[in-house]
Amino acid sequence: MSRPRIAAVVTELRRYSHAQHILDRYLFGYSWNGQHHLPDLDLVSLYVDQRPRGDLVDDRLTAFPQVKKYDSIAETLRCGGNRLDVDGVLLIAEHGTYPLNEKGQRLYPRYEFFKQIVDVFRQSARSVPVFNDKHLSWNWDWAQEMVRWSRELNFPLQAGSSLPVSRRIPQIDMPRGARVTEAMCVAVGGVDGYDIHALEAMQSMVERRQGGETGVKWIEAARGAEAVVRAMNAGGFDQGGWDPDLFRACLCRSHQLVPLREGFNHVLPTNTEIAEALRDSDRKINPVLYRYQHTDGLKMTMLLAEGIVNDFTFAARIADQPRPLSCQMFLNPREVCNFFNPLTHATEELFHNKKTAYPIERTLLTTGLTAAGVESLFQQRRLKTPHLDISYQPTRRSTYWSN
Amino acid sequence: MTTFHSSRRGFLQSSAATTAAATTHTLLPTAVGNERATEPRRTGKPRIAIITTVWAFLDHGQHIGDRFLVGYPWEGDWQEPRVEVVSAYVDQVPNATRRAERERQYGFPQGDQSAGRAREFGFTLYKTIASALRRGGRRLDVDGVVVIGEQGDYPSNVHGQKLYPRADFFQQITDVFRTDDRSVPVFNDKHLSYSFSKALGMVEASRELDFPMLAGSSLPVGWRMPEMEIPHGAEIEEALVICPSDALDSAGFHALEALQCLVERRDGGERGIRRVTTLVGQAAWNAMAEGRWSHELMSRALSRADVIKGQTLVDARTQDLAAPGTLEEIVPHPQAVLIEYRDGLRATMLLLDGAVGDFTAAVQLDRDDRILSTKFHLPPEPNVAYSACLARHIEDLVLNRRANFPIERTLLVSGLLEAAHKSRTAGGRPMKTRHLEIRYRAPRRSLYCRT
Repeated sequence: MSRPRIAAVVTELRRYSHAQHILDRYLFGYSWNGQHHLPDLDLVSLYVDQRPRGDLVDDRLTAFPQVKKYDSIAETLRCGGNRLDVDGVLLIAEHGTYPLNEKGQRLYPRYEFFKQIVDVFRQSARSVPVFNDKHLSWNWDWAQEMVRWSRELNFPLQAGSSLPVSRRIPQIDMPRGARVTEAMCVAVGGVDGYDIHALEAMQSMVERRQGGETGVKWIEAARGAEAVVRAMNAGGFDQGGWDPDLFRACLCRSHQLVPLREGFNHVLPTNTEIAEALRDSDRKINPVLYRYQHTDGLKMTMLLAEGIVNDFTFAARIADQPRPLSCQMFLNPREVCNFFNPLTHATEELFHNKKTAYPIERTLLTTGLTAAGVESLFQQRRLKTPHLDISYQPTRRSTYWSN
Repeated sequence: MTTFHSSRRGFLQSSAATTAAATTHTLLPTAVGNERATEPRRTGKPRIAIITTVWAFLDHGQHIGDRFLVGYPWEGDWQEPRVEVVSAYVDQVPNATRRAERERQYGFPQGDQSAGRAREFGFTLYKTIASALRRGGRRLDVDGVVVIGEQGDYPSNVHGQKLYPRADFFQQITDVFRTDDRSVPVFNDKHLSYSFSKALGMVEASRELDFPMLAGSSLPVGWRMPEMEIPHGAEIEEALVICPSDALDSAGFHALEALQCLVERRDGGERGIRRVTTLVGQAAWNAMAEGRWSHELMSRALSRADVIKGQTLVDARTQDLAAPGTLEEIVPHPQAVLIEYRDGLRATMLLLDGAVGDFTAAVQLDRDDRILSTKFHLPPEPNVAYSACLARHIEDLVLNRRANFPIERTLLVSGLLEAAHKSRTAGGRPMKTRHLEIRYRAPRRSLYCRT
């Protein structure tokens, strides 16, 4: 079989941009299963939307002359010819200078890029698998349309965050069919950038519960110390907060739990200490809370509280189990961000097998959740989410990085 | 100095083992959620003395010692200490240079923390090791001793080994045991001593006085990425460990013990080391070119690193560090420690400061040509959560009066480390190590952290 030819459509290619992380893995190889792995595919064409000073485009094109840069997405997919001439497309539209809307969403042009990709598929009467980095779009209607097109033109569409496929400490997965009643993620970052990571990390766990995924019926988002302190002290999800045992388990799974007592390097903070830290303007924590409930009753909490913790942790309550199931969703250090290894590998699987490694419905749901969370913050009220009536079944095998 | 006069003084003097076991599950009443219990901990837990060189922020004395005061994360929950610190001896206060350096690094005042900890947690600081063990009385009055002799101002010898007073501390401890005709378990952080003969004396004393002894690094009991264990009884062809630092003494010990905890599981058990050779600089590269260690194992071990350097630090690219010429370009001071075991096993430790930021290892199994590899994962500062994994085994030692892993491992690695230094000083001359004919069996149960 000949090596699949891959086109990359990206916003910018500079140090630490997502495009750099993923494309460099195609070009230089990366660590996989204890070896330096060189993908059995060829990156042949590249579209770059923006060229910030000091970007790596020229450097990489010189080092890898087999990669050709084109001025439009259509040309990139046609490799300069007049028909689709690649076997797969990497769409990486994260980072770059794009406007924010009044709700704080960065208007990355994923949908616009995707539309141009689909146009080439239509004109060429042929479709190939597409990978979309992170959520599908900031706009829910557009995200739905992207998935609809992939079904209409019958091409596999894979998307999402690296969190679901990254390493876990310890190496555990949600047992399939577990009766999960409540789950929580405590994580870092802010709205429309990191919420999607946290939401998708959780979703990759809870989608394995009894009955599979059934969708989400409402979401309630809040920002700031007072709202989070209120929720923390509420004592339970039905009281407007979360299960304190899940929060405690998350803090205990953190390996970057900020010591709130000076002179101590690792100490479990009390709720009082957390409240003080959240209210301390010098710490600039600005926490964000999403609470939502799935249609089958599953209760979910996402707390972004960078400065209380500096990593991603997860905990879930399973019926009849005395203790929560919990782990850290591990992000390898920043120098080389190896959590892109399993994500890149999943794209290779997509292109080789012409089949998604995990369901697109997961990312459609988390895309909708992210948009709904932002909307709830904007409107400052709980929102019903009948449009997130998304059902799907998880993969049988675990897809997180364990080799 | 703060003194807490425990009404339980003398408690547990006769049958520490049974009583300790019975009290392990005495959980403290805690307030709602994760509110900290405000009552002082006086629950009849086994009592320990901490003997340390220095107790300052992020030194071993602090980050291990504190685990027994404030607890530590364990299996997704916060474990309250299962032992009670009743006394401590602290040999030094941090010097002004170190304090200033640390203040810049961490942004708050640095210095000795032992007096503050004693006040807050109700234990007593003593001026001598003997009085700490006797708690000011006339007889041994603790149920376990934790020795943390790492960091502090101590001289180094010509080989570059820092002369930490671990054997001296130990001698003072066993003097009390002898005089008082009673012994309790002792933990010793890191290698036993810079000198094998002193280390051997320590182990012999523990046998003579019949007390369980545990020692070593946190790497063997910490997290592995991915989870990996050598099948017990596997035939091992060759092994290799990478140390991300050029500090042969302090970091090299960790790497060697990480290596040893893997290879000791081999067929026939551990039988000791015959010869040790340390090559530096060009001699190390020459040895690499000559194939003195498996290129494949080195490549596999390098691939497990999560922090890679060289060009990656410039533009974040991924790299195959095992590609020809790469290491030579980015590692200015390579060192290779070649280890020949008595049963024929060959192992290598590579110190590759400048190439990677992680301790990683690869092991070639004989039978099916399989290579197993992993990273010994060290969670970052300030939590340094790996010391929680070690603290767990220290508590187990005191509670069960049994070491979870054999002291012979650390004894052998102590001798190996000394021999590696001597060979380096001798310009790479192979050191015969007849004295390292140390035999032991590794526990079948895997002891690294995976829950």
